[in-house]
Amino acid sequence: MEKLLEILEELAPDVDFKTCEDLVDGRHIDSLTILSLISEIEDAFDVQIPTVEIIPANFNSAKKIWELIERLEEDN
Amino acid sequence: MSYFNKLYAFLFLPAVVFLYNIVPKKIRPIILLIISYIFFFMYSKKLVIFIIISSLSIYWAGRGMRKLNDKRDEKLKQVEKEEKKAIKEKYRTYKKVILILTVLFNFSFLFFFKYLGFFTSIVNKISSLINVSCHFKIVEHVAPIGISFYTLQAISYLVDVYHDKIEAEKKMFKVMLYLTFFPTLVEGPITRYAEVNQSIYEGKTVTYDHFCYGYQRILWGFFKKMVIADRLNVFVKTVFSCYMDYSGLTLCVGAVFYTILLYMEFSGTMDVVIGSAEMFDISLPENFRQPFFSKNISEFWSRWHITLGLWFKDYIFYPVSLSKPVKKITGVIKKIAGMRVSSLVMGGIALACVWFLNGLWHGAGWKYLFFGFYHFTLILMGDIFEPAIVWLCSKFHINRQGKSYTIFRIIKTSILVFIGELFFRAPGLAAGFKMVKRILTNFHFYGFFDEIAFLGMDITDYIIIGLALLVVLVVSIYREKKISVRDKIKEKLIALRWCIYYALIFTILIFGAYGTGYEPVAPIYADF
Amino acid sequence: MKQMMRNLLKSILFMTILLVLMIVVTLFLMPIDSVRKYGFVNASNYEILSEKENTIDAIAVGDSLIYSGISPMEIWKEFGFTVFDCATQGQLIRESYRQIEMAFKNQKPKVVFLEANVIYRDAKNKPWYYDYQQLIKRYVPFSNYHNNWKKLISSLEHHNANFSKVNVYKGYRYVNNTKSGKLKNYMKYTTKKASIPEENKIYFDKIVELCKKNQVRLVVISTPSMVVWNYKKHNGIVALTESYGIEYIDLNIDNALNINWKKESRDEGDHLNYLGAKKMSHFIGTYLQEHHLAVDHREDEAYASWHHAYAVYEENLE
Repeated sequence: MEKLLEILEELAPDVDFKTCEDLVDGRHIDSLTILSLISEIEDAFDVQIPTVEIIPANFNSAKKIWELIERLEEDN
Repeated sequence: MSYFNKLYAFLFLPAVVFLYNIVPKKIRPIILLIISYIFFFMYSKKLVIFIIISSLSIYWAGRGMRKLNDKRDEKLKQVEKEEKKAIKEKYRTYKKVILILTVLFNFSFLFFFKYLGFFTSIVNKISSLINVSCHFKIVEHVAPIGISFYTLQAISYLVDVYHDKIEAEKKMFKVMLYLTFFPTLVEGPITRYAEVNQSIYEGKTVTYDHFCYGYQRILWGFFKKMVIADRLNVFVKTVFSCYMDYSGLTLCVGAVFYTILLYMEFSGTMDVVIGSAEMFDISLPENFRQPFFSKNISEFWSRWHITLGLWFKDYIFYPVSLSKPVKKITGVIKKIAGMRVSSLVMGGIALACVWFLNGLWHGAGWKYLFFGFYHFTLILMGDIFEPAIVWLCSKFHINRQGKSYTIFRIIKTSILVFIGELFFRAPGLAAGFKMVKRILTNFHFYGFFDEIAFLGMDITDYIIIGLALLVVLVVSIYREKKISVRDKIKEKLIALRWCIYYALIFTILIFGAYGTGYEPVAPIYADF
Repeated sequence: MKQMMRNLLKSILFMTILLVLMIVVTLFLMPIDSVRKYGFVNASNYEILSEKENTIDAIAVGDSLIYSGISPMEIWKEFGFTVFDCATQGQLIRESYRQIEMAFKNQKPKVVFLEANVIYRDAKNKPWYYDYQQLIKRYVPFSNYHNNWKKLISSLEHHNANFSKVNVYKGYRYVNNTKSGKLKNYMKYTTKKASIPEENKIYFDKIVELCKKNQVRLVVISTPSMVVWNYKKHNGIVALTESYGIEYIDLNIDNALNINWKKESRDEGDHLNYLGAKKMSHFIGTYLQEHHLAVDHREDEAYASWHHAYAVYEENLE
């Protein structure tokens, strides 16, 4: 989780990731940031994020993103 | 039968509701299916065969993939952990073959009906340029109604089944109804199977409340279309067809009016469509979210024709940007130039694909490709210069969240959209450039009022349009603040509520632009 | 059940109020004069009803060929005769019958020109709901009058609530594009005869009777049109009119009006444009003069409004 927050803060320093719950729906992060985020996550956690998982519900908060990573790690 | 046909709204729809309510719950979805096919048949006659083929192909492909899943799971139980990965991989390949073949199969119809003529003309041009004597006859076919819309839905179904996002449907008629459902057939919204499959097959009785609620929305759509869009039609048509006769200022007004017309026509259609579905307690996704409050072009496209944008995002943008070749390229770039540049390249490639296809989707023609390219450039520029603008703003102490800056951005975005729509509506790409040239070289206020005096609108028309747009604006502001105007009306006393309805009805009846001297706007998106 | 009854009552109440409001609003928007006299009719289809009683010398009944081909104002200017085009788009002969019937309500024309093309137009080619549509149009006058709110506003300004729709073009629809027409086989001679739908024969008979009863001369006329007309149709009409002993004028034969198809058609030989209409109108005026069917009204005080109409017409031409 810490590692994820680091990545997130590096990508979008203006956003408060600890509390924000509508990252995508509220347009706090755009699709380019999501792209960077995905490739960072894939590198850092050694997972593959399939395109079907890229939906707002999975990226709306740091917690949700973390859940996604955990789920993917399990699948592996 | 257009959705704005009085026959549709006040004869067809009530008849369908009546029929739907008197039959047993179980066969209601089948009634919907039959009616949808009748609806399709009224437009396209025997071309109905193509939507049937598409439906069947995705149904069987879905079933096939599901069977492969079952087989795979069975095998997985029997083998050791080490072999599991290989088996998974093997079945994934099988499924991929089915997916690709079916997608290509469905695309081939779309290509045949919409793009064959365009591409043969390109091939002919090229062959004449390089002096090869081959000339193909250009064949134009009348396409089945809604083919651009239902093909995208078919593909979303296939891809979602492939990724196990949804389970392949067992019942054939359900897949058929998903593609053909009559409100969404002609102009969308482009739905996803997961979104509608609950409500569409439930067969709930149409209640009095839903019936009224649906009509409320339908009336709102009629208001936008008949009072505003149809009134602007003659003006827009004349300006765009004889653009060389008008000054730059009039052409600017024409482009703005066309954009308003397009918005009112398309979003009005969506109101009728969504209202129709609401009667059956089926909630369809919204296609518009106050697009003219957007602060940049990329936001505009998340508020305008939303379902199309989402389709491109989910099925083109992410798959392309996360595909292996793109990842490889960006991996290298990341090492050299850093994260930001690499994600820009990654997004840029995907964005180029999206906008190439988006342009093409709207029609086979250079102006549509240019339209796509124009918006691609604007969005990419926005991304590239974002840090520079942030830096400039802080340098000049401009509050980026401030009201005046926001209004500036909204106006800027709208102007960019107007320019895009000018090309979109122009009789061709060359004509579009000629119009822009005229705007730049022939812009003067002199004689403007004389010019627009003969464009079919007098002062009262402008007043009506102004007032009607004001009403739309107020409703939009409420919506933007997440206040539902419909709920507000619901809370009111019955007398007041009815007064609102009567006012709306009579506004349409009296101030609608129909009858002698007017020409209703033909459904614009039905041709795409 | 109780809920259902309440909803039903509510709907009925809603619809009743709607209906009452509709009638009230309609009364405000209707052209008051003609309504008082003729009841609920689709006055935009029967614009002749707004003309002063017994002032029209001749009417021309038919489809777009008529309203593109005959400009009564040109005839007024040249001869001082009053002609009115009772023409609607894609007119069926049963509508022509009704047009004549309506025209006779307040006018005593000396002659009725009937465009031959309507005799061939088959009602079966209209969509299935066409009759119902016409019926609704007849009894729900909204679709015809709703635009009168504009006049209502201006009448409030001028304290004059009489806005019967007087058409300054007298039924003519001015179009001045040019798209030249070319057709190799235009009016190529043949002895074949085109067949006339049965229903149309019945209505033609009714029209003949109606004109006879009112002692009005009926003339069947074919406006020059390369697209619509041919020799087969000509022969069919000749046979029909001869059997009744009615006059038939085919202006397509030997290009009687000397139409220059390069300059005088608006849509590739289908309809005449303004230049063509001038020739056709001249022909109609000459016909009325030669047969002594009308007198010059230009000096007549009672026809002053035609001078005003001409002024507007002339201004709009430019």
